[in-house]
Amino acid sequence: MKKILLIFLTLIVAFALIGCKRTEEGKTIVHLWHQMEPEKRPILKKVIEDFEQNNPDIEVVVLAKGTEELRTGYQAAAAFTGGGPELVYGPMDQIGPFEVMKLKNSDESIIKPIEDLYPEELFDKFVDQGLVRYKGHIYQIADRLGNHLALVYNKKLFEEAGLTEPPKTINELIEFGQKLTIDKNADGKIDQWGLVWNYTEPFWYIPFFGGYGGKVFDENNNPVLDTEAAEKAFQLILDMRNKSKIMPPECDYDIADNMFNQGNAAMIINGDWSWNKYIASPHVDFGLARIPYVEETQMWCSPMVSATGYSVNSSAKGEVLEATKRVLEYLTSEEVQEQFVEKFKSIPSLKSLQERPAIANDPVMMMSAKQIEVGQLMPIIPEMRAAWDAMRPALQNVIAGDMTPAEAAEYQQELCEQKIAAMYEGSEEGVEKRTALASTIFTILGIALGLYFTYLLVFKFILALMRKPNSFETQNARFAVIMAVPASVILFGVVIYPFFYNIVLSFSNMNMTNVNSWTIIGFGQYAKVFAEKIFYSVFFKTVVWTVVNVFFHVTLGVFLAVLLNRHLPGKSIIRVLLILPWAVPEYITALTWRGMFMYDTGAINLILHKLGIPAVHWLSGATTAFIASIMTNIWLGVPFMMIIAMGGLQSIPKELYEAAEIDGASAWKKFWSVTVPLLKPVMIPAITLGIVWTFNKLTVIWLVTNGGQPADKSHILVSYVYRAAFNLYRYGYAAAFSMIIFLILVVFSVTFLKKSQVADKA
Amino acid sequence: MNKTRHWYQYVIIYSILLLFVAISIFPILRVFTISLRPGDNLLNTSLRIIPEDATCANYVQLFTEKPFLTWIKNSLLVTLAVTIIGVALSSTAGYAFSRYKFPGRKSGLLALLVTQMFPATMLLLPLYIMISKLGLVNSFLGLIVMYSASALPFCIWLMKGYYDTIPPSLEESAKVDGAGKFYAFWKIILPLASPALVITALFSFMAAWNEYVVAAQVLWYEDMFTIPLGLKSLQGNMTTQWGMYAAGALIISVPVIIVFLVLSKWLVSGLTLGSVKG
Repeated sequence: MKKILLIFLTLIVAFALIGCKRTEEGKTIVHLWHQMEPEKRPILKKVIEDFEQNNPDIEVVVLAKGTEELRTGYQAAAAFTGGGPELVYGPMDQIGPFEVMKLKNSDESIIKPIEDLYPEELFDKFVDQGLVRYKGHIYQIADRLGNHLALVYNKKLFEEAGLTEPPKTINELIEFGQKLTIDKNADGKIDQWGLVWNYTEPFWYIPFFGGYGGKVFDENNNPVLDTEAAEKAFQLILDMRNKSKIMPPECDYDIADNMFNQGNAAMIINGDWSWNKYIASPHVDFGLARIPYVEETQMWCSPMVSATGYSVNSSAKGEVLEATKRVLEYLTSEEVQEQFVEKFKSIPSLKSLQERPAIANDPVMMMSAKQIEVGQLMPIIPEMRAAWDAMRPALQNVIAGDMTPAEAAEYQQELCEQKIAAMYEGSEEGVEKRTALASTIFTILGIALGLYFTYLLVFKFILALMRKPNSFETQNARFAVIMAVPASVILFGVVIYPFFYNIVLSFSNMNMTNVNSWTIIGFGQYAKVFAEKIFYSVFFKTVVWTVVNVFFHVTLGVFLAVLLNRHLPGKSIIRVLLILPWAVPEYITALTWRGMFMYDTGAINLILHKLGIPAVHWLSGATTAFIASIMTNIWLGVPFMMIIAMGGLQSIPKELYEAAEIDGASAWKKFWSVTVPLLKPVMIPAITLGIVWTFNKLTVIWLVTNGGQPADKSHILVSYVYRAAFNLYRYGYAAAFSMIIFLILVVFSVTFLKKSQVADKA
Repeated sequence: MNKTRHWYQYVIIYSILLLFVAISIFPILRVFTISLRPGDNLLNTSLRIIPEDATCANYVQLFTEKPFLTWIKNSLLVTLAVTIIGVALSSTAGYAFSRYKFPGRKSGLLALLVTQMFPATMLLLPLYIMISKLGLVNSFLGLIVMYSASALPFCIWLMKGYYDTIPPSLEESAKVDGAGKFYAFWKIILPLASPALVITALFSFMAAWNEYVVAAQVLWYEDMFTIPLGLKSLQGNMTTQWGMYAAGALIISVPVIIVFLVLSKWLVSGLTLGSVKG
């Protein structure tokens, strides 16, 4: 035993040593987190290498993340631990959510005002939009402008249809679109669409909303979404699909992108990040135009325009700050920007580059700049997140035909106001005074609880083990404790802090404005959860989700394991093929399933078609999308239960079956009287945990329904709390919500285990 | 047992199994198709498995353009450590919970389950704060401990459940012969529990092998990435290199299958009624 322990310890130490971060002597390390698209990263890597060669005293460590992960990751690191990367790169609308978060015991935001870091001359080099100002400070230096949508058209397909120019007006868009929507082989299925775009996302709706004169916020930053403009924009999208039929009945980003790129669609509305790919596509003869002009209002459609650039972490000080400044200056400099401009046709933020003839006369960039001229600046305020989350379900409801444009406009306004109020909940004036009492009570309760646990530990555990040291029971107990302690230490060591942290948070008013100055307010957050009607319907759906999933996981898993539990040639191959869904990472298979559920292109409908069953709009209906998620998750979960059951079947002695056979029992009888009862001890824990995991399984439903589509109607509790609370930085509320989920599961499992009597078995 | 089985029973069994195999591998074949296609298209419009313009470029690119081998090495390191810890600690703890009475046994068993009930997404922030305060950011040790903790509750429960099916009379007789407690466990019970050990090992392996959410928070250096994290880094906000992504996802699953194949040898138990009587 000692030998094993020794090997074990050495291994751990070895792993720990290998895994330690290494720092080179004498170098200042600057961390940069960014969200650049994969094809831009090689250039970033190259320019950083150049920089490091010229500045041997600095090492730049680059980390790529998704926009959302970058935002939450940076907030977690900077606001909650006072650390994080020195530089953070992203679109300018992240400035709002960063500015609002303050450092511990200070009024300083987690990002630094940049205006004092450099001499005035540096800022003079940038165009105005290149310096992102918010609340009187410069918080970001951009290296590119745009990130905007425009109309891309395929000249080849236009020529085939006898068209020479892109559409200039909405009427032309529809007219041309109809000419370009073609059923080539006359089988009743459209083979080439006039226009494709990601029309279920509000970012793509904004240009039309703007074209009818809509603005998301008024001068006082109040949302103005219930306007005629909103209604008309909804109506237009609906008409383009249903009346003029110039776009496919179901479309998301990937479908649109794929169709256009393959030459199966004549026009696409997509952002500057995608153009490079279309230029390179052999099926596309690239043309760029403004999103058309609305005759009725005499205005151009107006996409969101934002700068993308670098912000500095407030925790960067002294030597590190000096190094950071040098890196930042370099990354926004002419020599770096021109490399990105050259390859990706992004609009530079430096005056000198914008004026350069090669850039000013490039046809793509000229058109891109023309689109920007009529664009609207992306609001920086954190409330914009609430606006996106309000517009999304409204838009999707219109598209699904569940709301009229007028209803949807009213709905998004109402939802947006609600969400904004929720974001600031708990930080009203005077909250601290009002909650002083609650705070004291909860502190006392907390201390009492701590004392009680200490008492339990000392008297019921340690002292119990000290008693009668030589007795048989105590020795057995000591042995058992030694066996169980290593696992317990690791497990509870990891879990205890997060667990209590969440409990405390669930009684607090923490939101984005007070991450480091929150107070205890009592049961307020819990009351809010229970007061929401939607909680109950989502809860019900979660139960359905869990029960259906686990039922099929277990029955199919056991069924397959029993089938395989015999002498069968080729058994090991079949077994491996059956566990494949478990082996392949679910973040790719879930997306593949989503692709298989697509209306026009998905395999499921193709197969249904071959069987003579009419195609189903899987992803655009709330119920069908939910069913699609369940099917995916069943597929994912069966192998696991199958493996457990395979193991469990091994614990059943073969003689029992033989005895049953001698008694003349049928196969069915044998299964129920021998297999089931003897499988129970192994399966019950797996089922209990299976239920718990399924109840809290966020990934599958998120990936298959693309974040709860349509209209946030296909949520289970965890995905709902993610959308409604976490996304809006309602930390206290989210914690209370998860405590409720937790308590539901605790109550359930305790009853379930009592009923199945596994826990009590000695 | 096979005496009474007729040929048509085999036909039925095989056809059922083949149906399930078809369902199980169909989506994975789609992933395979994506991985063979040039460019970055996620969607298939045909049911063909090998596309017309099939190419291995995505696989080649993964190994030449990305530090894929480094990622595999990192993943193996972390995963092996977690598997060893998972099997070692859960086989011992599960044994204690199955066979012995000790203070805190019942509440301990329940507490194991309870740790699984908190939505993991909500724990991410405090976990990160804790790791950061302990100075374990950018170290594999932090990851190993966290992954072990996430695998242990299930593994302990599973081991306990399996030990429960092994008659206690087996160790009793050994102890009567003068063997120590640990010896009885090590020499008699553990070999009999091999099917459960296999599942425990597989489960611990998977808990570490495919995880990326925690890893994304903890690892800041690209050359410290584990495979799933490296794969995720191929994903952009709007543009994802789907071909490479799919190829990587399939490569990731190969070690899982190898591990399963190797371990499945021990998925057969030597437990019979005879051993109880003896």
